[in-house]
Amino acid sequence: MMEKGVQRWVVDISTWDPSTDDFSYALSLLPQHHHSSITRFVKKDDRKRALISWLLQYALVHEVLGIPYHEIVIKRTLEGKPFLECGRVCLDFPNFNFNVSHHGDYVAIASEPLCLVGLDIVSHVIPEKETVLEFIQNFSSCFSSLEWDQIVTAGSNDEVLTELYRYWCLKEAYVKATGSGLAYGLHKVEFYHTSWTDISVKVDGVRNAQWRFWLSELGKGHYVSIARGHPISATESYKRTLNQTKFNEEEYNEGLLLPNVSFVWRTVEELFLVIHKAKSSC
Amino acid sequence: MASTTGASLKFTSLSSSFKQTQVPLRGVSNVNSVSFPSLRMRPGSLRFRVSCAAKPETVNKVCEIVRKQLALPDDSSVTGESKFSTLGADSLDTVEIVMGLEEEFGISVEEESAQSISTVQDAADLIEKLMDKNCA
Repeated sequence: MMEKGVQRWVVDISTWDPSTDDFSYALSLLPQHHHSSITRFVKKDDRKRALISWLLQYALVHEVLGIPYHEIVIKRTLEGKPFLECGRVCLDFPNFNFNVSHHGDYVAIASEPLCLVGLDIVSHVIPEKETVLEFIQNFSSCFSSLEWDQIVTAGSNDEVLTELYRYWCLKEAYVKATGSGLAYGLHKVEFYHTSWTDISVKVDGVRNAQWRFWLSELGKGHYVSIARGHPISATESYKRTLNQTKFNEEEYNEGLLLPNVSFVWRTVEELFLVIHKAKSSC
Repeated sequence: MASTTGASLKFTSLSSSFKQTQVPLRGVSNVNSVSFPSLRMRPGSLRFRVSCAAKPETVNKVCEIVRKQLALPDDSSVTGESKFSTLGADSLDTVEIVMGLEEEFGISVEEESAQSISTVQDAADLIEKLMDKNCA
């Protein structure tokens, strides 16, 4: 039942305004060793986002794979990508893997049973201290000439920004799927699309048909992208966390051609409940 | 293909690794004189530097640039040890910060070097190294 491994959840954290006690309670739902990775953030909003990211990971793994809370082991690669340390517990799927993202009001998680998955949220922020043209210049080297042309000729300032953010969102989803993070090479991944559907990619100038991409909006000016691709494209460190990186065409298509599901809205309170229950049961 | 990097910081919730920016502006007119400084383009400006900046000054300047980019309140602590991700830099911020540093110090940051930066001190050290090269 591979479909079950395809999950897309999102939480709107804009209405969650925890007191210090509320936050401590939420923190207590997570294993101690994750706490510092949350509390180290200077800004409260970043701490909120980090905390919800972790809760989503535990909730997802628990609900989808049925792993008891105390047996869930989530680690990070050298580059910082979280992964589930499997052992004997996740054999339902060839390569259960997930990715989280947060920006602005939303925190989201996506999982896949076989293919790599990358997820990115970009909030449409209007630059305050500089013009739109000045702002976009910062990123010109991250885009191919084709993409850059699309961006600068998009029309109004708002349309230019939208175009930039959409391309950025897709690129981020790709690098996050592979586990390399925001590294060099964003300009090496070139996106093609038809009104932002049928999205495909060329990597280093070569068309790569083993990837699928989706771009949509979560609301309140937030773009969200999903990248789904071949495990062979993962970084060495991330590959080590996967069960299988070689597939024949038929096997791989089972994962590649799964339907992409829409995002399911979860609330902060729901997540607390799920984890609390999971934690309390033996 | 994306290849393994050192300590890419993308997944520590908010990324803070750097990106090289060597490709000049493409087809967009300069509203401001935003330029991509490089060693070759600004040899004249070296004359006006008193010396390659002392460590505390460089660190302070980096702190200032970061503070501005991340809109951190004046009372928040930003020191050499501060990690960009911890201060709240997301992927877009990170690129802008590198651009800001390149402009401010007249340097060009290579991708490989950029990836090893995670703290303010790392950035200041790299800046001084690149500026030493300029002066030499």
